[in-house]
Formats: sequence, structure tokens, C-alpha cells
Amino acid sequence: MALSKDIYSAFEDVVGPEYICNDPVIMPSYHGTEFAAIVLPKDTAEVQAIVKLCNKYKLPFRPVCTGWTGKFSKGTLYLDLRRMNRIIEINETNMYAVVEPYVISAQLQAELMKRGLHLNVKGAGSNCSAMLRGHGHLDQTTSGDDRNHLAIEWVTPAGDIVRSGSLGSSDEWFCGDGPGPSLRSILTSAVPPGVTPGVFTKAALKIYHWPGPSRFPVEGISPKYYLSEIPPNFMARYFSFPSVEKMWEAEIKIGESEIAFELMGFNVAMVAANITTSNEEEEQTFQRLSKEVQGPGFFIILAGNSAADFAYKKRVLEQIIGEAGGRSLASVEDPRTEGILLCQCIRISASIRETFRPGGAFSSIPVMGQRDLTIQWAIGAGQAKEPLIEKGLIVDDGGAFFGWGVEQGHLGKTEIFCKYDPQNPEAKKAVEDWHNAQSARAFQERYFALLAGPNEEIGRGLSNYHLWWNKIQQALDPNGVSAGAGALV
Amino acid sequence: MGLEQYKGDMEMCCRCSACKWIPMQRVSGYRYAHVCPSISKYNFHSYSGGGRLNIGAAMLKQGFNYTDRLLDIIYNCQMCGACGVSCNYAMDMEVLEPIQEFRIKCVEDGKTHPALDQVIAGLRKHGSEVPPTGKRGDWALGLHLKDATKEKVDVLYHAGCLISYDKNMQKLAKATVKILQKAGVEFGIAGDAETCSGGRAYQMGYQEDFLNQAQKNMALIKQSGAKTVVTGCADGYQAFKVLYDKFKLKGNLEVLHISEYIDRLTKEGRLKPQKKVDLLVTYHDPCRLGRLGEPWIPWAGKKVPGDRFVFDPPKTYRRGTHGVYQPPRDVLKSIPGVKLTEMTRIKEYAWCCGAGGGVDASNPDFAQWTARERIDEAESTGAEALVTTCCWCEKTFHQAIAETGSRLKVYDIVELVETAIT
Repeated sequence: MALSKDIYSAFEDVVGPEYICNDPVIMPSYHGTEFAAIVLPKDTAEVQAIVKLCNKYKLPFRPVCTGWTGKFSKGTLYLDLRRMNRIIEINETNMYAVVEPYVISAQLQAELMKRGLHLNVKGAGSNCSAMLRGHGHLDQTTSGDDRNHLAIEWVTPAGDIVRSGSLGSSDEWFCGDGPGPSLRSILTSAVPPGVTPGVFTKAALKIYHWPGPSRFPVEGISPKYYLSEIPPNFMARYFSFPSVEKMWEAEIKIGESEIAFELMGFNVAMVAANITTSNEEEEQTFQRLSKEVQGPGFFIILAGNSAADFAYKKRVLEQIIGEAGGRSLASVEDPRTEGILLCQCIRISASIRETFRPGGAFSSIPVMGQRDLTIQWAIGAGQAKEPLIEKGLIVDDGGAFFGWGVEQGHLGKTEIFCKYDPQNPEAKKAVEDWHNAQSARAFQERYFALLAGPNEEIGRGLSNYHLWWNKIQQALDPNGVSAGAGALV
Repeated sequence: MGLEQYKGDMEMCCRCSACKWIPMQRVSGYRYAHVCPSISKYNFHSYSGGGRLNIGAAMLKQGFNYTDRLLDIIYNCQMCGACGVSCNYAMDMEVLEPIQEFRIKCVEDGKTHPALDQVIAGLRKHGSEVPPTGKRGDWALGLHLKDATKEKVDVLYHAGCLISYDKNMQKLAKATVKILQKAGVEFGIAGDAETCSGGRAYQMGYQEDFLNQAQKNMALIKQSGAKTVVTGCADGYQAFKVLYDKFKLKGNLEVLHISEYIDRLTKEGRLKPQKKVDLLVTYHDPCRLGRLGEPWIPWAGKKVPGDRFVFDPPKTYRRGTHGVYQPPRDVLKSIPGVKLTEMTRIKEYAWCCGAGGGVDASNPDFAQWTARERIDEAESTGAEALVTTCCWCEKTFHQAIAETGSRLKVYDIVELVETAIT
């Protein structure tokens, strides 16, 4: 839907001619969607002006950070937040960082590491916005999802600027809930649609103690990076177990003892993906590692605050692993591989090698909840993958799932995905069918599948929250310009 | 085959934006994390490596729609290959190759840039990508060098267009001569008969002109009997070593950049830099000596049907791993008094000087913007001088420094070596 010249000019007046484009030739690079235009605001004032114009012209809009993923409707105005890329503040005393949407996690993390601090890097990867809500490798010690958002500057769908939490009553960003308006349930909705209407223009993020070096000693030339040495008081290991029950037993004890810096329930296919530099090498490595493990397992990073702390954590780990019959994967004990995994999991948050490299696409079902229960669901979803693997429609990862604990506790995220070639229609259809069937099963069995929908169906299962949500949405967005979506992607 | 051969690669792009950044493990702070000048300057995703692939894939399906915006995207790219290195840390897919093919297609379809047409017109007329300021071999007058068009030589020094014709750059050729003579190397030059390597023409998308130059050069080399070509600029190096090989024209010719050759001569004990050069320097890796200087890997095969993007026979990707990174650094270390301090973006993820891909001709402002960013980074190291190994980089940096008033000095590595052996 082309914008009229007048409307285009109105937006152009806000951002300047350099920062708006509606030439169809650029649209393939914007998710292949026929957007009304792409605009690149530089600050909150421009975002607000754009949103007000969207209301005036009843034009739907979507704000996007790095824009890895997203589904959009034709005719939408795309707010590419790329120019809003400043770290506003790193407050070491009160342990938070304030960022704009296009600061990526790798940048913020690098700055934090210099200060003995770090953050929760989301599973999407450190190449994505630091402001993203979500989960990641470091959930065990940094929590996840909305728990890391403090005060937020928010341009509502109607174009008002709302400052939540402490920012609502002062210039301080330290708290998302007050003194000032706490809008946590609206701003950081964790249930479908899982997004907030409007635009986050700045957010304060919790930051955490980092016991490691100010910079990892990375050597080598891409893609064969390695660490010249494992940082003092750091250790990475992969343990496999005789059964899922034994794995969970160890996982929960590790959580209770609070010894893990990261506990990531990788399967060996993911280990193979992360330590290799090509598809061919990955396949061979997966086959090799599959023979070395005794069953399901997890990857763990210990990070000691001192030599004594590290020694203690190692002793506790050894005892827990021993009691659960766990076995360390020898390949990961090799310091070179250990170092690669440390960087992959802390600095990169794995991601691309294990998802997109094989075939170019993956389809995932993440499920939040009590880990031992969600694992049971995931086992079924894994079994449902096996016929697809046999037909060669998806990558053979042994039908495995993965997941991790959050905040050293029972709560966690379990996830399973299929990697496939999206150019193969048969594979695409088979994966879609698998996704729909397993999501539906999750819902029927009352698991909280994050991508399950539609809202109404889930809402009925969750205290009819969707009715309230729809009312809030209507109040916030009277012109329906940010309907159903709008937060950062 | 052209762009079509990379259809699968382009479709592999998952829009992760890794192509915009240096490899994540190498991000050491907020500053100097970007790697692609084009997306950094123009901001729309279409100007990134991934965006270019998205557009290429779509146009293969839907037809080519050459708007002004598309041509702006196509020609505002230094073809520096940084996007590919960052992508290929994790992904198995070609990035720069389809971007290159897209340019070639534009030229084939007559969708050229007028400034680049002018460069190519000069190339066709004079065998040079810079306007002639006299005879090509004038820089060697009085040096009594072997004429490789008349005598057989083992080693041929190819000065390149800019060094040959630019009065401010001819010093690099003269320094090179001094160095080679000091090491006792028997070498020759082609003088007035030397012609452009064609590398820049290829970057600009003029494949036929490139091939024409390549054939002329290889005929000259064959006639001279040279077994080794030593180049003075990184563009020439990449053309002789990588592009000629890509088009099966190189044969067994050994191609060395002057920095590699100096490194070899020093390590063999034939060259002994002894004079102290008290200077704190930082080194700029030219794209075409560094990440794009790695050898060509011949390959032909087909995608294996199934779940993965793999081929039979397996394809080895050029990921920038085997570029020329250490020899120039070793040369600098061999010079007494020179201390090297590194910038944030180095080696395979170095930031481009801005001149590549014809951008210095088609959009000098963008070239200068890119160079200023590098000057800023070099200054952040505290270095007194920025050393490079490509005359195009040096020229672009000099212009940026003149504009910004920076106190940073810029040298080609041969200038420092010349000082150290004199």
C-alpha cells in the first residue's frame, strides 16, 4: 500500500529525506514485506512524532531493532530503530545499564566486562538488541525474560511518552515498579501475544557481577578462534547421564547449591554445532560425540570469584555428578574446545551455528515451566521428529531437545527445534505440521508453550487474561495502529 | 551462471545482521564494533551484506528492477568482503561472490555508474585506472632497471597504476627498488608496457575489462619468463593471485605482495633493517591483502539434496582465514625502533579504508567518511603513524587527514623499510 505524497512528506519532515524510503527494491531486505515505508528515527522525539502521525493517518506501524525475525502485514510502517544506538548509562553502583534499542548485547557486554559486570544475553544471540526480552544461556545466574527490565521509556501506541517505575517520579532508572507507575504486566507481557504495543525507546537492564577477565584472550583467525588460556577460576564441561531422571536430579542439585554460572541443557548436536566451523565437520563431530555420551546431558560453566570459591564449586559439582552417575565428555575437557565453548556460550550465545547454518531455517517450540515436567513434553516432541529425520527432511540431531534452568531453580525453559531447508516445500510442510501438532499437544497437556496461539484459546486456559488484555490494548491504542504487536523484535 | 549460481547462498541469509558487525567474540567495546562501511553510513538494511543478498534473491525470482535506489545500493559498497568474514564465522554460504555477480550483472545490463564508466574508459584507452600524467615507466627513469619486455627476468615488479602515475606515490616504487636492490634481488619491470592488473575493474563489475587486462598481463609475464610477480599495491596483489586464479589464468605464477617479499628476504637474512626508526605505529590491513588476499579455492559441485546446505564434493569456503596478516607485522617488528600497537578492527575484520569497489571515484564523500572512521580508530591507539601496504589506502588516508587536521602520519610499509636500510 503506497503512501500518498502528502503522508510520505509528513514522515519525511520528521526524520529527513535520508531516513525514509518506500522504494520497493529495498523491501526484500525488510522481511520481503511490502511496507508502506521504512523510517529510521534518531530519538524518542522522532519516534513520538512518527507514532502520532500514524494515529493521524490510521497507519499501522511496527518498531524493530536488529530485525532478525518478524512477521508483518503489508502496508505497515516499519520503524527501523537502527539509529537509536546509544548506551545512555552504565550505573555500576546500582547495577543497571540504560540502552537504546540498537545497542547489541555484544557491545554492552564488552563494556560491562571491563567493569567486572555482565548481563543476560538472550538466546537470539549477542548480535541482537541488548534490550530484547527473552531467555538465554546465562539465565541460571542472571534470570531471564522481563525480570531484567527495570525502568522503561515507552512511546505508547497513541504517541504519549510514559516513563515506568522509578523513572516516572525521578530521573532514576533503578526500578521498574516504582516509585512511579508500575506497568510491568503491560510492558513486559510474557504471555501471548508476548509483545507490547508501542515502542520502547530506552530501557534500563539489570546487570550482574562478572567474575571473569575484562576481555577473553581470543586468538586465531575467524572462524577458528580459540582462547590462549582458560581464564583463571573458569571451567566448562559437558556431562551426560544414564537417564533423563538422573540428569534432572543433577540439574536441580546444581541449582540448589548455586554453583553454576551457566547451566545449559545442550544436546550433543548443539555441542557439535558450536565447536565446529562447517556443516560437514559438524555432522562428523555429532556422530562422534553421540558415541561418547551415555544419554541426555547438559553443559555447565563454573566461574569462581576466587581460587577457593572455584575449588569449592568444583568439589560440589564432582559430588553431584558422581551421585547422578554423570560422565564428562572428554572432547570438551580439551582446553581448546573448552575455550571455544566458553566464548560461544558467554559472548555469542551460540545461536547461528546451531540453528541456521545447516539448512537456513529452524522451527522452534519453547516451553516454560518446571523443568522436569517440560522435559517430559519435549521427549514426546523429539519422538515426533524421528520420522522427519528418517525421511531426510530435517537435520539429524538425534531427536534431541534442550533447555536450561532459570535463577538456579526448578523453573526453566525447555525447547526443541527442527532445522531444515526452507526451499524444500516438503520439508517446510512437514516441519509446520510438526510444529502445529506439538504446540497443540503442549497446550492440551497444559504446558506453557510460548509460541502457541491464538490468544483466545490460551486465554481461556489462563484465567481469561486475553479479555483484559484486549481491553487494555483498545485503551492504549484507540486507532488500532499498533494492534496485536509493536514491541521490539 | 552469474548471479544464478548463488541463488541458494542468497536464500540462506537468515537476516541475523552478523554481517554488520565484527565477529562477536572480537567486539571489545561499544566503539569500533561495526565492520561494514555501507550499512554504517546508509543505515537501511539493504546496504548490508545480508540486505544485498535478500535483494539479489528476490530479483532472481521476480525480475530485475533497476531503480535509482537500487543502483545507489549496488555502487555504495567497497566490496571489502568484511560482511562475508563475519557471516562465515557461523554460516556456510557465499556472501561477497553474489554481491560481486550482482555488480557484474548491472554492468552487463548497462546499469553503470557514470564515474566508473569514466574510469573504465581511461583503462581501455591507457591501460590505467588513474589518469596518466606522463609515461607509465617514468618513475624508473635513471634507475637503470631491467626491462622485462626485452630481457628475461625471474622476478617482475608490478608497480600498479597509482604508484606509477601519481607523483606522490612514485616514491613507493623507488623505495621498493632500493629495498630489492639492497637485498640483491635480480628483478625487472615492464616500464611503459606495464598495464593495469584489472582488479579494480573487476570490483566495479566490469568483468570483460578485467579479463582483457588479465590476459595482457599474463602474456607479458609469459614473455618475460618471470616466475614471480611482486606487486606494490594490494589491489594488484589480489588480482594476480586470486582473481587470475579464479579465471584459471594464473598457472604456476608465484604472486607476492612487496610486504611478503620483504618479510621473506628479511627472514632469509638477505635484508637487514638496521637503522632505528623511532615510531609508534598502528597497522591497517588492506582488504585485498588481508581477508580477500587468501588463495582462490577451485571448486565445482552440486548441492546434495536434503536437509543441509552442503555440496558434493564438499565446498571449502574462503572465510578470510588465510589472508596475509602476519608478514607485514613481522616486517614492522623487524625494523629497530618501530613499535606496533593494534587497532580494534584488524586482520580479517579490519575496517576498509573506503577506496575499494570504485567508491573513491563514484562517491568520494563516502570514501572519505569511511577513511575518517579509520583515522579515528588509529588515533585511539595513541600511534604516531598509520602504516599500510596499499597505495590506495594511503592516498585515501592522506585525504582524510588533510580534511580532519589529524596529526597522524601515514606511511606505506616500504617507506619505513627504506629508511631502516638506508
